[in-house]
Amino acid sequence: MSENKFQQAELAALLGVIERLAGELSLAEEPARFTAALEEGAPAAGGGGAAGSPGPSR
Amino acid sequence: MPDFSSLAATAAAIRQGKLSPVEVTRHCLDRIARLDGRLRAFITVDADRALVAARRLEEEAGRGQWRGALHGVPLGFKDLCVIRGLPTSCGTRTADYFTAEHECTAVSRLLAAGAVCLGKLNMTELAMGALGDNPHHGDARNPWAVERCTGGSSSGSGVAVAAGLALGAIGTDTGGSIRLPAAACGITGLKPTYGRVSRAGAMALSWSNDHLGPMARTAHDCALMLQAMAGPDPLDATASAHPVDDYVTALDVPVRGLRVGVPRNFFFQGLDVEMEAAVRRAVAVLATLGARVEELRLPDPQVLNDITGLVSRSESTAIHGGLLRERPHELGPFTRARLELGLSVPAHDYLQALRLRARLARTFTREVWSEVDVLAVPVIPEPAPPLRAALEGPLEAIVERQGRFSRLTRPFNGLGLPALSLPCGFSTAGPPLALQLVGRPFDEATVLRLGHAYQRATDWHTREPDLA
Repeated sequence: MSENKFQQAELAALLGVIERLAGELSLAEEPARFTAALEEGAPAAGGGGAAGSPGPSR
Repeated sequence: MPDFSSLAATAAAIRQGKLSPVEVTRHCLDRIARLDGRLRAFITVDADRALVAARRLEEEAGRGQWRGALHGVPLGFKDLCVIRGLPTSCGTRTADYFTAEHECTAVSRLLAAGAVCLGKLNMTELAMGALGDNPHHGDARNPWAVERCTGGSSSGSGVAVAAGLALGAIGTDTGGSIRLPAAACGITGLKPTYGRVSRAGAMALSWSNDHLGPMARTAHDCALMLQAMAGPDPLDATASAHPVDDYVTALDVPVRGLRVGVPRNFFFQGLDVEMEAAVRRAVAVLATLGARVEELRLPDPQVLNDITGLVSRSESTAIHGGLLRERPHELGPFTRARLELGLSVPAHDYLQALRLRARLARTFTREVWSEVDVLAVPVIPEPAPPLRAALEGPLEAIVERQGRFSRLTRPFNGLGLPALSLPCGFSTAGPPLALQLVGRPFDEATVLRLGHAYQRATDWHTREPDLA
C-alpha cells in the first residue's frame, strides 16, 4: 500500500468511528463540556489527598 | 558518597547542609560531560549559567534564605519549553523553532522554588513519535540498554533522570510522552489532569491533549515538582483554578481501603507475558498494602484512542502546518506523514470528536469512578524494543508500531485524567517494566500517594543502570 493510500485508509477509519458515534449526540452537547466534566468529576476539596489547600494566589 | 538517589533526598541533604547546590550541580554537569556523548539526553547544556545560579543559591542558603522545596536541585527541561537565553528547537532542525513572549510558566515556577536549570533536553521531532528517535539531534539512548528505544516524545527527560544527569525533568504528554519514556527508562513520570499545569510558554502539539508534568526517580519527587508547577495561570486560559492539594503531605495518608480497579477489557489484551506478570504482581503488592482490588469493565478505550487521534492530528497540523508547507524537506518521514494526515480532517468531524470527548469524559466518571478510586494498568504493551528494528520497514509499519506502543496511554489524554508511570520490574532482556496508576480528575494526590506507598514497599525505583 502506498503512503498516500495508507494514510487515506487510516483517516477513513477514524472518520467512520466519529460519524457512527456522533449520531448519538444531543443538540446540547458541546466541546466545552469537557472541562466542565473534569471539574465535576473531581473529588470533594481535599478528598484525594485529605490535605486540600486553597488554590494558589498566583 | 553523597546521596543523589532522588530529588527529595538531595533537596533534604542541601537543606541540612550536607550537600551544597554547587556540589550537586557540578556532580550533574560532570556526569553530563562524561556520559551524554553516548546517551544524547541534552540538546543544549547550560553549564556556565547553571553554576552561576548554583553559587547564588549557595550564598542564599548560607544566609538562611531558602527559595522553596527545590532549593539547589538541578533539573533539565524538554526542548519545547521557552527559557530565557536558550534556543527552543522542539526537536526540529531549526534551533529557534519556537519562541514566546514569556518564559515557560512551569519552568519559571520550578526555578522560583529554587531549582537550577541544567539545559534543554532531547525529544522527538515536534513531540511526535513514541519511540525516542530524532533525525536532527541524534537518537536518545536508553541507559538500561543503549540499543533499545527510550520512549518518546520526552526521550531526553527519561534518559537524563535515569542516568543521573539531572534529578528531575519536565516532560510533556499528548498521547503518552511523559509516561512512555518514564516506563522505558525505569523512572517515575506523572501526566497531571488536563489544565492542572499551565501550558504557557511550551510549544503546543495539540491544545486539547497537551499536558506538562514532572519526571523524576520517585512519586515523592514528582509530588515535590508538581507542587511547584500546579495552579492557575493568566497566560493559559486552559489552566484550571481548581484548588491545588498539598501533594507532599498527602503522601503519608494511608492507602488502606482505597479501591483499585483492574480492567477486564483492553489494557491486558495482547500484552508481553513478562509485562503482564509484573503489573499483576504490582497490583498484588497494592493489595498487601490494604488496597481493595476489584475487576471492572471500562467504557471502550479504543474509541477514546480514535477520538484523541483525530483531534491531535487536526490540531497539530493547524499549529505546525507552516513548517509542512514551507520546509517539508526538513521533516522526518513520520512527522511529515502525521502532519499531512491532519490536512484532510474535515472541520465538522474535528468538532464532533471534541463533542464526543466531552460525553465520554462524563460517561467515564459516572461508570468508573463510582466503582473505584484508582485504575491500575500497564503503561506499555512490551518492554522497550530495539530502536533500529522499530524504525525498519515501510512507513505504514512504523506508524503501526508507534500506535501500538502508545495505545495504553492515549485514552487518558482524551479523558484528561492524572496518570502516573512507575517502574515495577525488569524484563529478562534488560529493559524496565512499568505500572500505570490513573485517578479521578484533579486527584493527583491519591495517585501519587498510592505510587509512593508502592515504592516504599518495593525497590525497583532505586535500581540504577550500569553506565561505567
